[in-house]
Amino acid sequence: MFSLDPITKKKFARFRSIRRGWWSLICFTLLLILSFGAELLISNRALFVKYEGKFYFPTYGSIYPGKTFGLDYDYETNYRDLKKVFLDQSSNNFVLLPIVPWSAYESDLKDGQYPPFAPSIDQRHFLGTDTTGRDILARLVYGFRTAISFSMLLLIATYSIGVSVGCAMGYFGGKFDIILQRIIEIWSNVPFLYVIMIVSSIIVPRFGILVAIMVFFDWIGMTWYMRTSTYKEKAREYTSAAKALGASHFRIIFNHILPNVLSVLVTFIPFSVTGGIVSLTSLDYLGFGLPPPTPSWGELLAQGTANLQALWIVTSVTVAMIVVLTMVTFIGEAIREAFDPKQYSTFES
Amino acid sequence: MLQCESEPMTEYLLRRLLLIIPTFLGITMLVFIVTRFVPGGPIEKLILSKQMGSMDGKSSGMSSTSGRASQGTLSEEQLEQLNAYYGFDKPVITAYFIWLGKVLQFDLGNSTRYGEPVWDSIKSRLPISAFYGFSTMLITYLICIPLGVLKAVRHKTWFDNISSIFVFIGYAIPGYVVGILLMVVFASKLEWLPMGKFISDGFEDLTTPQKILDVIRHAVLPLTAYVVGSFALMTFMMKNNLLDQLSSDYVRTAIAKGCSYRRAVVMHAFRNSLIPLATNFGNNIAFLLSGSFLIEKIFNIDGMGLLGYESIVERDYPIVMGVLVISALLQLTGNILSDICVAIVDPRIQFR
Repeated sequence: MFSLDPITKKKFARFRSIRRGWWSLICFTLLLILSFGAELLISNRALFVKYEGKFYFPTYGSIYPGKTFGLDYDYETNYRDLKKVFLDQSSNNFVLLPIVPWSAYESDLKDGQYPPFAPSIDQRHFLGTDTTGRDILARLVYGFRTAISFSMLLLIATYSIGVSVGCAMGYFGGKFDIILQRIIEIWSNVPFLYVIMIVSSIIVPRFGILVAIMVFFDWIGMTWYMRTSTYKEKAREYTSAAKALGASHFRIIFNHILPNVLSVLVTFIPFSVTGGIVSLTSLDYLGFGLPPPTPSWGELLAQGTANLQALWIVTSVTVAMIVVLTMVTFIGEAIREAFDPKQYSTFES
Repeated sequence: MLQCESEPMTEYLLRRLLLIIPTFLGITMLVFIVTRFVPGGPIEKLILSKQMGSMDGKSSGMSSTSGRASQGTLSEEQLEQLNAYYGFDKPVITAYFIWLGKVLQFDLGNSTRYGEPVWDSIKSRLPISAFYGFSTMLITYLICIPLGVLKAVRHKTWFDNISSIFVFIGYAIPGYVVGILLMVVFASKLEWLPMGKFISDGFEDLTTPQKILDVIRHAVLPLTAYVVGSFALMTFMMKNNLLDQLSSDYVRTAIAKGCSYRRAVVMHAFRNSLIPLATNFGNNIAFLLSGSFLIEKIFNIDGMGLLGYESIVERDYPIVMGVLVISALLQLTGNILSDICVAIVDPRIQFR
């Protein structure tokens, strides 16, 4: 596909040698895969139904109304009930439910009892339910998926804008640079949380809108770094050589300067990922984030702090946050160390 | 920005100070315009509460229905008066400059919620945030500098590795989540410490030692949350600076001349490695006084952060703008202050 040059190979080997970071990367990748295939583990749809000799796979695709399986309703089949029905009939029919047979949106309503319900293995609420009876594990996992998608989108958008603007500032310099510097200084001093809070209290911020608002303020961080490093690279001999050979601005920027500058950008990525997750969680916590009933960590955090008697809510979400954020930070630390050519020589005392 | 060219420092600082003006104008104008074009402002709030009031009136009794209509909605005249009162009758730019003119006379206007001067609310909140800010900074420096030194001296030993894990965990978790966790464990579950607020309700009746104890008891959890959020960066800065210095030539020379390792670290390398920490100092000023509103919200501390947050939620724009003025000024002067700090600790650096 693409060949790795020896330096990259060496960096990768050094990254692998930092066990904390390497194992975090493996675990994090696993978590990502699990969360994106979460429907197979946590869902109110059955994985597999055998009814009257026919096989059904309801997890993905359109819903099967209850009548398909000989029940008396037209809306989506409740597979947990179906399982009981099949068990009572003691026929050949068969339902295989996911490990957690609850969706992130569905309330588990019980007669005479009020949620939140404590964790119970019998009920398959491994981490209990929240104040409206929704399964916490399901909401954590789907919330993680939302947060990580949010963070990744934010990362791609902010990096593309930040890199282009910063690079242009460093490369072209002059008035363009000075004016943009002032604008960015103003921009970075505007308390962006204020603006987000004001904007999201007027319009209900759907996923895309929220990403857009965040990008609007977040791209600045990248520009300063890009500006200085482009500025430095521009002064190097190889750039002058390229210019002397008659290379266009476009060619100099994309073929010569960017490849030299971008490698360091990799070390920023993990910290931007945690930053994105934390921003979304904080906004959701304050109630300015994604609209309910979107599963989100911030919303769980808010519920947990408001219901301290239901300790399992706040415990599960904080533990999940600590684990995920620490893992990503460990990855970041290891990448940074792998990219850092500085090897300290210290003295034996 | 940092260049080794000789030019008087004062000239540089003067230029930086003058640059505050356009930036400050830009920031305040931007937010002012945003607040003007956002629906749900104080007048709409008032109209809404009037309508709600009339609804209540109707449901509670049918006795006097005649006066309800005029009470339920505001008349044109009243609306105009209100618009004039809040300055909404003029175009945005004019209103902005009127506001700016007042700010230059140290008049930040009145809160639309309480009617009291904005400056009074800020004045009563600022010391609380400042108390937490300065304590946080003090504790952070007290932990980070020794820890950083120890980690640098014992680079790549088990002590360094284990402490790195904790420092990175501290770095990864946002301060307010630490706050929530601490509150759940120590205030809610174990009930060792109070849940929040700056002081207890009966604070006035306490004796002085009791008062001090009360403030400390309330401060332990929020301070821990603040410190955990900020000490990782400082520790690593300290450690890496010191490592840089330790592998530099002058330390080698010192050791070669027969200076003990301990002395080389303490007398030679340590002082130089403090320089970058100084740059950080000025940037902390704004944070010091404005506080983290998330932590203040969790622990229900009436500081600047919470004031700003509540005023946005309640659309109390004079306070929003007031808090913005204070925090922008602090931020901008903080940046200059850190430059001065750098120049003081390292005479080699000169500004252009």
